[in-house]
Amino acid sequence: MSRNMFKAIGGGAFTLAVMLGASWQAQALDAKTAYAGMAPLEQYLMTDRNAEITLARSAAPESISREAEVLVLGRHGYETAVKGKNGWVCVVERSWMAPFDDPEFLNPDQRLPLCLNPPAARSHLPLTFKMTELAFAGQSKTQMFDSIKAAFDKKELPLPEPGEVCYMMSKQQYFGRKHGNADPHLMFWVPKTDDIFWGAGLPGSPVYVHQYSPEPITEFIISVSKWSDGTAAPTD
Amino acid sequence: MNRKLVNAIACFALLVVLGGAGKALDAKTPYPSMAPLDQYVMADRTAEIALARTAAPASISRDATVVILGSHGYETAVEGKNGFVCIVERAWMNPFDSPEFWNPKNRSPICYNPPAARTVLPITLMRTKLLLAGKSKEEVKESVKAAIDKKELPPLEAGSMSYMMSKDAYLTDAGNHNMAHLMFYTPLGTVWGANVVDSSNELSEPFPGSPLLLAPSYKGNPEPIDMFLMPTGIWSDGTPAPAM
Repeated sequence: MSRNMFKAIGGGAFTLAVMLGASWQAQALDAKTAYAGMAPLEQYLMTDRNAEITLARSAAPESISREAEVLVLGRHGYETAVKGKNGWVCVVERSWMAPFDDPEFLNPDQRLPLCLNPPAARSHLPLTFKMTELAFAGQSKTQMFDSIKAAFDKKELPLPEPGEVCYMMSKQQYFGRKHGNADPHLMFWVPKTDDIFWGAGLPGSPVYVHQYSPEPITEFIISVSKWSDGTAAPTD
Repeated sequence: MNRKLVNAIACFALLVVLGGAGKALDAKTPYPSMAPLDQYVMADRTAEIALARTAAPASISRDATVVILGSHGYETAVEGKNGFVCIVERAWMNPFDSPEFWNPKNRSPICYNPPAARTVLPITLMRTKLLLAGKSKEEVKESVKAAIDKKELPPLEAGSMSYMMSKDAYLTDAGNHNMAHLMFYTPLGTVWGANVVDSSNELSEPFPGSPLLLAPSYKGNPEPIDMFLMPTGIWSDGTPAPAM
């Protein structure tokens, strides 16, 4: 999801309050130069493995995440830290999963916990792993973009399956200085389609959309009223 | 959608959404059989078109196809341009064993997105046509099952969903009668971490804290579809709705 949220979030009334609150910070952010390349790897890693497990699980209510598989980021990519029992997978994605043109791309502070249902885990995690591999290899944005495009063209990366859902309800999620922890939401991935497919982005619609690029994937985003810990999310 | 919300809404009553306004239904007596047809049909065609469109924000529904209920089934009243189809469903889209199956007060506006219009709406049209022709619940269930087996009813398309955000809906006798929400249709057995409402309006919470509800509609009885509800917190006219 991470690579989705930002564009979609712009139109969200619910998010407006968060955005306004962070606006003074956003003004200071130079979108073009903030993260021109990878920071030292250590800045993306969490030294406390248990803290990363806890953060990953905070993406969904405990009733879902306590039996989920949990992945953590190591020096060579993601690795399984906890074996799961319910088919769900929780992971903290990093900023190389942000859209390529997003100013937060490669921001070492970004932490995006997700919990994916079984079909979402099957189709989305290969993309996460591939992007992580490319980032660790030191590829430029352009190289990453081309590599991902080629991988989809060759069908080396899968398209979304029917019935995918991804929870992003962590109060501790951090999108960067502009959006902070944004809002709790669910995401739904489908093979690339038009915004109107779900009536997304139209006035009054509760559905936001992010069109991936170069991935042939559309992401629909719907805010929810509570964080995963049951506390109410701010409303505008 | 009605077939969904009715039960879900009872659960919301439990969850305080509907607060103390909700009274438990007498499941045995309220609507034992079909009322006279004119209690289900809206005499004012224009009013039914307008009500159907309230299911979604005007930005979606104004260009949607609208179908309305006639004496033999649904018929197209307005040809649309964006692939959405808006309709006011009646109580018989509840589960077959719902105590409100024949509730003539039920008015459930829904706007189906294009894939749902192609693959979920046909279930509504078929069930309605058969019931208005005088078929029994059991006969309707058997006919729908046969149509699915013979692929006369299309298989569910990925990405099927619908809007139910009408402030003017009457979904159930319970509580405040209504709830603004979206619905998502998935293959039977899809795991979304949702809490569950059964056909007796009993809520079970295998996933406390989940923002999703699995409705009792379809669920292999006979359609191989799961239907999830997600409250929106806002009506189609932009005003706030009670939160879950």
